[in-house]
Amino acid sequence: MSVGYQAVGWNRQKKLYDRTLALGVGLYLALFLAISAAVNPNATAETLVIRAFGTGALLLLHVVLAIGPLCRLDRRFLPLLYNRRHLGVTMFGLALVHGLFSLVQFHAFGDTHPLVSLFTANSRYDSLAWFPFQPLGFVALVILFLMAATSHDFWLANLGAPVWKALHMLVYVAYSLVVAHVVLGSLQAETCPLLTGLVGAGLVAIVALHLVAGWRERALDAEHAGDATDGFVDVCAVDDIEPERAKIVTLGGERVAVFRYDDKVSAVGNACRHQNGPLGEGRIIDGCITCPWHGYQYRPEDGCSPPPFTEKVPTYDVRVTRGRVLVRSEAHAPGTPVAPAQVHAMGSRDA
Amino acid sequence: MVHAFELYVAIGIAFAVAFVLRGANRIDPSARTGTWGFRVLIFPGAAALWPLLLVRWLRADSGTGSETP
Ligand code: HEM
Ligand code: FES
Repeated sequence: MSVGYQAVGWNRQKKLYDRTLALGVGLYLALFLAISAAVNPNATAETLVIRAFGTGALLLLHVVLAIGPLCRLDRRFLPLLYNRRHLGVTMFGLALVHGLFSLVQFHAFGDTHPLVSLFTANSRYDSLAWFPFQPLGFVALVILFLMAATSHDFWLANLGAPVWKALHMLVYVAYSLVVAHVVLGSLQAETCPLLTGLVGAGLVAIVALHLVAGWRERALDAEHAGDATDGFVDVCAVDDIEPERAKIVTLGGERVAVFRYDDKVSAVGNACRHQNGPLGEGRIIDGCITCPWHGYQYRPEDGCSPPPFTEKVPTYDVRVTRGRVLVRSEAHAPGTPVAPAQVHAMGSRDA
Repeated sequence: MVHAFELYVAIGIAFAVAFVLRGANRIDPSARTGTWGFRVLIFPGAAALWPLLLVRWLRADSGTGSETP
C-alpha cells in the first residue's frame, strides 16, 4: 500500500516488537560477554566480541527460520512473523560486526589484502575436515547483506515478486553455509564441542519444523479435493467460521480465504499482494479483510484495497444453503465485484 | 579480482547517490514522495545492484518519449 515510501511504516506494534528485539539482543550480548570473560579471562576483547556477535547472529538466524513453519502450525506465533524483516536485518547487523572484527583481527595486519588473505590464508580447499571455514562465512554474509539491503518494499515492487522471493529463499543457502562455517571452525580449533552439538540440534529442529509444517499443509490440501457440483464445492459449515474471521480452503490447487462477517460470507484468494501473506489468517477490521502480516486491507465484496490503494486479489462466487458454504472453484479476475452470500436469507422466510 | 570488486563497489556507491535522488523516482512513481529515511534505506541495495538498476533507469527514460508506457 504505497503512497510514498517511508523508511519504516511505524506503528505501535512494530515499536513494541523492535524494543523487545533490541532488549533481547542487548541482554544476550551483555550476558555472553560477561560470562565468557569470567570463564575465559585470557581471551582478548576482540575475540569475545567476535564470539558474542557470531553466536548472537546464529541464534537469531534460527529464530528467523523457525518463525515461518511455527506460524503455519499455530497461529499464536503470528505476532513474531509480523515484523520478521527487522529480525533479519538485525541478524545481518550482528553477523556483519562478527565478520568485520574477524577480518580485522585475522587478516588486516599482513601484507596481503584482507579479502585475499581471507580466501588464501588457509588453502586446503581439497580437504573436508580442514576446509577453509572463513570463506564460507563470507559468502553467507554476502547473501545476508543482499537480503537485508533489499528488504524494503521498494525492492519487492521493483525487483518483482519472483526475483525477490528467489533472492530471499537464499536464506537457506546462507544457513547451510553458516552451519558449515561454525562446525568446521569449531572442529578445527577444537575449542567447543558444545557449540557443534548445539548447531546440530538446531539443524535438526529447523528441518523437522519445516517437514511437519509442510506435511500438515499437504494433508489440508488433500481434504477438499472432491465433491464438486456445478463448479461449487461444499467447503464447510457456516458455523465453522468464526465471525469476522476466515477459513482457508484449497480449490483447484489454489488457496481461498472464506470470510464470514455481518451475516455474510465472501471468498477471496488467500495470498496477499504484498508478500503473499495468508489473508485467511487475518481478520475483518473496519469492514476490510486485514492481512495478519503487515496490515494490507481488501474489501471482501470485490477484493480491492480501499482507495487510494490499488492492490487487488481474486474473488470467488459463494452460496450458502442449509447452513453450508459453497464456493465455486473458478476464480474471478482480481478485483471483480461478487455479491456476498447472506447467511440468513433476506426476510428469513425459509430460515 | 579484488581490484575488480573494489571498482564495482566504487561505481555502485557513486551510482547509488544518483539513483536514490533521481533514478528511484523514474522507475517507481511511489518513490517521488518517498522520505529521506526511505532513500537512506535503499542506498546499500542500490549500490549492490547497480547494473540492473542502471538498465531499468535507462529504459524508463527512453520510454517516456515513445508510445510504450
Ligand atoms: C566475513 C565473514 C566471516 C568471517 C571472516 C568469519 C570468521 C570467523 C572466525 C575467524 C571464527 C572463529 C572465531 C574464534 O574461534 O574465536 C568464526 C566463528 C563463528 N562464526 Fe564466523 N565469520 C564470518 C561470517 C559469519 C556469519 C555470517 C555467521 C552467522 C550468521 C557467523 C557465525 C559464527 C559463529 C556462530 C562462530 C562460532 C563462535 C565463535 O567461535 O566465535 N560467521 N567466524
Ligand atoms: S503480506 Fe504484507 S501485508 Fe500481507
